[in-house]
Amino acid sequence: MILLPCPNCGARNVSEFRFGGEVTKQPAPDQTTPASWARYLYMRKNVLGVQREWWYHNACGSWFIAERHTKTQEIQSTYFYSPEK
Amino acid sequence: MTSSPIITNRRLPSSPSQTLNRQKVVTFTFDGKEYSAYEGDTIASALAAASVTTFSRSFKYHRRRGLLCAAGNCPNCLVQVADEPNVRSCTAPVQPGMAVRSQNAWPSLDTDVMSLTQLVDRFLPVGFYYKAFMRPRALWPLYERILRRAAGLGEVVPDSKPGYFDKVYKHADVAVIGGGPAGLKAAMAAANASAHVLLMDTEPALGGHLRYATHDIGGHPAYEYAANLIEQVSNHPGIEVMTGTTAIGRYDHNWIGAQTENRLVKLRAQSLVVSTGAYEIPALFENNDLPGIMLASGVRRLLHLWGVVPGQRAVVVSANPRGLQTALDLLKSGIQVAAVAELRSAPEIPLVEQLKAAGVNVIANASIVKANGGGRVENVTLKSGSQIQEIACDLLVLSSGYMPASELLFQSGAKLTWDETLNEFTPSSLPEKVFAAGETAGTHTLSDIELEGELAGLQAALSAGFGDDTVRARIGALVEKVHEQRAKRAPWTIGDLPEVAGKKDFVCFCEDVTRKDVKQSIDEGYDSMELLKRYSTISMGPCQGKMCNMTAMRVCAHYNQQTIAETGTTTSRPPIKTVTMGALGGRLMTPVRVTPMHDWHLAHGAKMMNSGVWKRPEHYGDPTAEVRAVREGVALIDISTLGKLHLHGPDAPVLLERLYVNRWRKLGIGRVRYGVMLNNEGVVMDDGVAACLSDDFYYITATSSGATAVYEWIESYLQSGWMLNVHLLDATELRAAMNLTGPFAREVLAKVTEGVDLSSTAFPYMHARQATIAGVPALLLRVGFTGELGYEIHVPSGFGLQVWEALMEAGKAHNIKPFGVEAQRVLRLEKGHIIVGQDTDGMSNPLEAGLEGLVKLDKDDFIGKTSLVFAHEHGIENRLVGFEMPDGTLPEEGNQIVQPGKGPIGLEIIGRVTSVRRSPTLNKVIGLCWLPDGMNNPGQEFTIRVRGELKTGRVVILPFYDPENARLNA
Repeated sequence: MILLPCPNCGARNVSEFRFGGEVTKQPAPDQTTPASWARYLYMRKNVLGVQREWWYHNACGSWFIAERHTKTQEIQSTYFYSPEK
Repeated sequence: MTSSPIITNRRLPSSPSQTLNRQKVVTFTFDGKEYSAYEGDTIASALAAASVTTFSRSFKYHRRRGLLCAAGNCPNCLVQVADEPNVRSCTAPVQPGMAVRSQNAWPSLDTDVMSLTQLVDRFLPVGFYYKAFMRPRALWPLYERILRRAAGLGEVVPDSKPGYFDKVYKHADVAVIGGGPAGLKAAMAAANASAHVLLMDTEPALGGHLRYATHDIGGHPAYEYAANLIEQVSNHPGIEVMTGTTAIGRYDHNWIGAQTENRLVKLRAQSLVVSTGAYEIPALFENNDLPGIMLASGVRRLLHLWGVVPGQRAVVVSANPRGLQTALDLLKSGIQVAAVAELRSAPEIPLVEQLKAAGVNVIANASIVKANGGGRVENVTLKSGSQIQEIACDLLVLSSGYMPASELLFQSGAKLTWDETLNEFTPSSLPEKVFAAGETAGTHTLSDIELEGELAGLQAALSAGFGDDTVRARIGALVEKVHEQRAKRAPWTIGDLPEVAGKKDFVCFCEDVTRKDVKQSIDEGYDSMELLKRYSTISMGPCQGKMCNMTAMRVCAHYNQQTIAETGTTTSRPPIKTVTMGALGGRLMTPVRVTPMHDWHLAHGAKMMNSGVWKRPEHYGDPTAEVRAVREGVALIDISTLGKLHLHGPDAPVLLERLYVNRWRKLGIGRVRYGVMLNNEGVVMDDGVAACLSDDFYYITATSSGATAVYEWIESYLQSGWMLNVHLLDATELRAAMNLTGPFAREVLAKVTEGVDLSSTAFPYMHARQATIAGVPALLLRVGFTGELGYEIHVPSGFGLQVWEALMEAGKAHNIKPFGVEAQRVLRLEKGHIIVGQDTDGMSNPLEAGLEGLVKLDKDDFIGKTSLVFAHEHGIENRLVGFEMPDGTLPEEGNQIVQPGKGPIGLEIIGRVTSVRRSPTLNKVIGLCWLPDGMNNPGQEFTIRVRGELKTGRVVILPFYDPENARLNA
């Protein structure tokens, strides 16, 4: 059971959260092909290392991004979405 | 043995190290015979005091097994206590009247006929049951029954009474697992640095191996020295002590599971100190499993904790100072020590001198060849140089090595490396916030253990955010000192194997695996530890490798002609020790949601059902009558479980356009529209209605099961860059809701409603109005899931019951009925409405699910549009259609639609039934099903496989009932 720091509430047991998958970038709908759209929908990098991923905190309703090492479970940072990052 | 032999001469006089209350004698039975014990005895100590030597029969050969570790680690003393199997009798306290039975022996422990198997052992090599019992396959159930009886442990009693189990949640800055000298010092150091410490130990008291040691430490016996440390720890306000608590696993971020009696402990610690000590392990030689052969620590436990004399004439095999110390302890207890076989060339001179002064024959450079005996050990063959001698004894004490208890370190991700000097695996790198101290780290000398304990405690405190420059300075000094001392460590574990294999030299006591068996496994190709373990079942029995892992590695390395470092060890997964299933299950903590009208439903005979986490009335006795009431009269259903969302803000219409497949911009104030939401894959995710209550306030409903997911899903878009000026509120629990429906709904509603004209011209179908109902402000949605005139009434939760009761009262004249989920399923099916998640699945797009009329592909982007455009280009493959059964057969939901083809019974599956009911209104069987595109024309017949028989269904245009919507618009 890892501890995940919600940017709103602080460190909480991961059982309070829902995993939202890797952070991906949606292709522009008018420029995508079935193949590239399917890649966006279904293919994941599944890295061994630090991964940017979405999490949802059930308790406060926040969606945020975590940078988590997929092997050591070290959470390097968590933050709310901003268009710049 | 005569019945009820009160305490025999095997008891020593009282001593402060003992846990016994000699004032209190209790009795219990073992295999039907009565025994007495003192309060404070374990089952095994009481039996040993009564001269019982055979405690169990071994797993495969049914050989006699006696006490070995007396510490809850080995498999030898497992017993059945009433309905609880596999109780470790050496750690289970005696309870008055306890009924203890031996396991795995028939007809009795003393004469077990299955022990004859060892005479034919050449036919029962390792893995024999994989080979011998595989053919013919049909006989496996029979083989299995026989094998299970021949080789098994305790008995599961199916009708045993359920017990009370629960969970405990704990938090600590520093958790110290293991309360021996290292753990005591670590706890003190961390607590003195202001950390909140939780100190856990599996034994009933703190002190570790010092509890049962009597040698002199600074003028006091060891147990007294420990008592002093324990007192300091127990009185420290910063330390919480949990004894009798067994850590069973370490998970990510120092989340630790443990069991204490009927509780599962879940502990979160900032930092962790592992000071779990080491397991003393048996040596490998012929007949090393005879009763009367004990580990030195087990002997000291019997002597000093329970005052039990384990034999009259002992031979001690020693490879470390504790062996020599145990020989001295035996002498002090009045037991003859026939010889000390010292395996090392340079044992500690002062201890050897003491033994020699007492007339003990200390044989240097010795090795043990074999033990001999019938029911128990009678003599032992020793070798020293070229000299071989046989020495008579009834107790053979083994102090020849240790294996660090490093399970928690493995589970923490520590790297363990083979130490050539110590003959032990020791941690060479530890993850952050995990520390190891004492025997777990390969250190056996008390003063060094204490240094390491203090260091680990301080480091743990510091890494948890406690400690100042003084602490840092002390850590610096200790690191240096510990480093220095570790360089001087001497081995306490023998590294050699006997030159040749024996016939009954057991590597693994749990599964009766001999050295020869290991060799054979390796010869057959199972030559790595992980393969060897799985093939020979070494380390997979009740001890989980605590006794055998080290020896197995040595044997494996030997036959592979490798070093142990090259051979490597197996890893350790939770649980480290046996856990009661009840503790893992614990008290059920499943949340249940009930509506404000829940008690009313119960009081009116509702049969409740689970709908997700909600409780809903399935029906109130007669669902068919409930359907009829809706069609012909008036009825009321509790729909408070519906998801209800408030959308506030000027961008609310923009949000709706993006969420739903249909158009929203032109929805006027007071209008309601049905909508379908897709996920990004173009699959139907949820449906419901939205009401426009003002330019910037919309009220949305979602399905009961989809409500939470829809809320999270909309938030995911709002919080990830849509930048819309809109606020979403999940009002599901803020509002109760009910649907008043049926031809007389308007009349009934009118009786309790103020502030709104209910006439069909003023308040038509698919419109919303605010009104006052039974004095309560309410939102009315005129929608029609049931196919009849109907009003959804949404009121603040606290007034739900009041409004419900007012409507039931107002409807009396029209014989109003409450109706449940079952009637509603029939009603909506008659009307051809789908249920998302029942009639659709994770592959269903709206073009196929009969919702194509809603979808506006020419709209600006909406969620799922891109996928849907591609799906549309790809073409429709399947369609959800309505059907009826001309012969009246009632299929089951999930039944397959088939056609002749190449399947195993000459049929292939082309579709499936998703909803089906016998319609009381239409008096026929109707349903929804998936069919290949092209088979969806009205009148098309197809075949359904119903309970093995092929039946004909026929496609029908939806809806089945009131296609003109005359009743809805009434």
